[in-house]
Amino acid sequence: MRPLKIGISGVRGIVGETFTPELIVSFAQAFATYLDCGRVLVGRDTRPSGPMVRSAVISGLLAAGCEVVDLDICPTPSLQLAVRALGAQGGISITGGHNPLGWNALKFVRADGLYLNATQAEELLDIVHQGEFEKAPWSRIRTSVGGHDPIGPHIDRLRAAFDVQAIRARRFRVAVDCCNGACARLSPQWLEALGCTVLAINDDSSAPFPHRPEPKPETMAQLKAVVRAGGADLGFAHDADGERIGLVTAEGTALSEERTLTLAVAIALAQRAGPVVTNISTTRAIDDVAARYGAPVVRTPVGQSYISEAMLEHDAVLGGEGNGGVAVPRVLCSHDAASAQGLILEAMARTGDTLAELLRDLPEYAMVKHDIGVKPSVLYSRLQDFRDEVEASHPGADLSDGIKVSLEDGWVHVRASQTESLIRIIAEATTETRARDLVEWARDRVGSS
Amino acid sequence: MRAIPTLKISISGVRGVVGDSLTPALLTRFAQAFGTYAGSGTIIVGRDTRTSGEMVRQAVFAGLLSSGCRPIDLDVCPVPTVQLAVRERRAQGGIAITASHNPAEWNALKFIGDDGLFLGSGPARELLDIYHQGEYLKVPGPAMRSVERMDGALDLHIRAILDAVGPLPRSTSRLRVGLDACNGAGSLVSPRLLEALGADVVSINTTPDGLFPRPAEPLPENLTALCDLVRAERCDLGFAQDMDADRLAVVDRTGRPIGEDYTLVLSAWYVLRATPGVVVANLSTSAALDDVAARFGSRVLRTKIGEANVTERMRAEKAVIGGEGNGGVIYPRINFGRDSLVGMALILHLLSASGRTLIDLLSELPSYRLIKTKLECPSSSIPGVLRMLKREYRSFPLDSRDGVKVTLPSGWFLVRGSNTEPIVRIVAEAGSDEDAQRIVDEVFARVKSTVDSR
Repeated sequence: MRPLKIGISGVRGIVGETFTPELIVSFAQAFATYLDCGRVLVGRDTRPSGPMVRSAVISGLLAAGCEVVDLDICPTPSLQLAVRALGAQGGISITGGHNPLGWNALKFVRADGLYLNATQAEELLDIVHQGEFEKAPWSRIRTSVGGHDPIGPHIDRLRAAFDVQAIRARRFRVAVDCCNGACARLSPQWLEALGCTVLAINDDSSAPFPHRPEPKPETMAQLKAVVRAGGADLGFAHDADGERIGLVTAEGTALSEERTLTLAVAIALAQRAGPVVTNISTTRAIDDVAARYGAPVVRTPVGQSYISEAMLEHDAVLGGEGNGGVAVPRVLCSHDAASAQGLILEAMARTGDTLAELLRDLPEYAMVKHDIGVKPSVLYSRLQDFRDEVEASHPGADLSDGIKVSLEDGWVHVRASQTESLIRIIAEATTETRARDLVEWARDRVGSS
Repeated sequence: MRAIPTLKISISGVRGVVGDSLTPALLTRFAQAFGTYAGSGTIIVGRDTRTSGEMVRQAVFAGLLSSGCRPIDLDVCPVPTVQLAVRERRAQGGIAITASHNPAEWNALKFIGDDGLFLGSGPARELLDIYHQGEYLKVPGPAMRSVERMDGALDLHIRAILDAVGPLPRSTSRLRVGLDACNGAGSLVSPRLLEALGADVVSINTTPDGLFPRPAEPLPENLTALCDLVRAERCDLGFAQDMDADRLAVVDRTGRPIGEDYTLVLSAWYVLRATPGVVVANLSTSAALDDVAARFGSRVLRTKIGEANVTERMRAEKAVIGGEGNGGVIYPRINFGRDSLVGMALILHLLSASGRTLIDLLSELPSYRLIKTKLECPSSSIPGVLRMLKREYRSFPLDSRDGVKVTLPSGWFLVRGSNTEPIVRIVAEAGSDEDAQRIVDEVFARVKSTVDSR
């Protein structure tokens, strides 16, 4: 089966295979129907299929009677903020996120700037499946598409949220890899507003991705070289749509994406102790850091909308996921790479510490990930068998999203991928050997492909 | 059984009602089918000013991009401008987004081949097969193109007309032209063309907002505002266009519509004066065309109804001009397609070169009166109706290529079944109102009794 994934995080697939104009048009019409029309914002990342997807989305929205405002290429968090600022009913961000170049996806944003939650996503899917959409007659259909540049307002909001004066005073040298993605304008402009000397690479939004748009150490070789050669204080690595961020220290060390959130949590809690939200698959280091401040950690299923909902519910001081996504609530209760930049530079400015010094006494665990390719027809029955077995052997297991077994010295989490026909096993422990043992334990029980 | 009255998919393209059957999913599938048919490549896209134009255009872009095409966007422009740009840019095809004379709630896609002509019946059937099979070319995301904007398409069209016919001679007094562009695709380009030709223009309905100020068809009964303008502004004549600027109607200086049949007659008059040659028109076009052709030793060849039939024959016969009696002028030096802009240029040149008024020129031709009517008739009864007419009128010259056309001593009539509705259409022409009406009444009665007897 060719990959198409319709779920809580929207609809994503491979362009030229499953992600067709008809499918996109239906989702746009359904979303418009769900919102009762009104104003809807559309933005996209820099994938070459973006113009096709955008046209299909705009056509579907117009046909249903929406007023469409086209933000063109822009980070997803910029679109989320603009939805609120322009009083829109919702927004659609066209981005395959960290997926390879051939993928694309629609992410649905509601009037408060956050993603649809699980129930709302179900409702949207019901409308898609029913196939009965709102249709505007000729006298009501909008005759043109509006425009708006959300980058300036996004930077204004960031300026108000961070200590710009303190950061400017330090005159940081910052390397940034925009991955030729949607951050190519926002990130350098924001860093310049913070008085940084910016060494930008891959900041051409018309060029293809120079590497997989996932800010992991294995994609950061070029950034490491720029940090070292340019004598930068640190380096930032972006994904395609400005949600996730990866870090490189002045010494040229690329950090695991799990470290981004650990650092952000430590910074936020030092400012104000309070609840922290992350998913159940994210490093235990978060709990260790939170414990130092007596702050509770709220764990959610994997997915940004769960994080956002829990942040609002618990009045969190910070949220995020182990993939490099950080949400700073005074900017947006959703992942925003620019917020993470502000948070980290502000901490460096106020403490006078280097990035390596900030990381110095933060706990770190070994994490091992393993994917098993499984036919879609048996994927969920395999998971169910594993779940039954674990329920019997480990009565305290967390079954809120897949199966997570927590032990004294580590944990292992088994779940279905949201994007591919895979079972993902993630284990974390104090040593890599132990983490590998945990993965093997789970793999033996789930079965190989 | 009745067809859904809000959607028509045929070899002339796909046409439907917005907010009803003409959905973005249908449109994007058709664009993919056309992209597949055209083997990816460059496709010119233009539209008229209908309110649904933006929605339709975006669906078309998505479909074309998905099938690997490079769409070139002309945005609002006359249909003939799309045809011209297809040839100028050596594109693989074009899509004109327009429901021409249909009311405001309609829109449509019309498909143009790499020769700048609407797809003929063979290629159009191939396109429909691809559409129905549903297996469309799909390119992977990284290979996908984006939409390019082409500026200056309107200038290209104006220049092509000026190159072909030249500006009006400076020696004669300037002609004063009233224009009614129906707030359609001609709104922007027509005043510019008329000024470039050297005429003075006073215009109404040139706001390209797609809000119809009058029914789109340039029929006499829809042109009262233009007639008033021509009289009030003391114009030498008035021009009226439809939504997509392919058809043209003319009003004389007294503010009287001369009938859209005479648009082609006058255009041919000017062309044949300098270059006598073959004229091609369909079976229902006025006999006045034959009279004009005869003055210049030229002849008129008749084809089945449908623009593609006329253009195919024009190419085969190397015609100097052709068209349809509905105000569609086809001048092959510009385009093998109906072009109201060319029609304006040719008619102004005729007035300028002859130094005479329209009324004066028309008085030289025998007068004709053309009457059109229709009656309900299930499609199953049409063959019987046609058989009856062939039998009843077997002693007169008879043409049965498209329905039945009979030439009587006092005039002619044509009866044919509609492709789009369960009706038969009757057209009759004679030298006077009375004669034309007599023919229509007689034919109508015969057809009706045949239909009723079944």
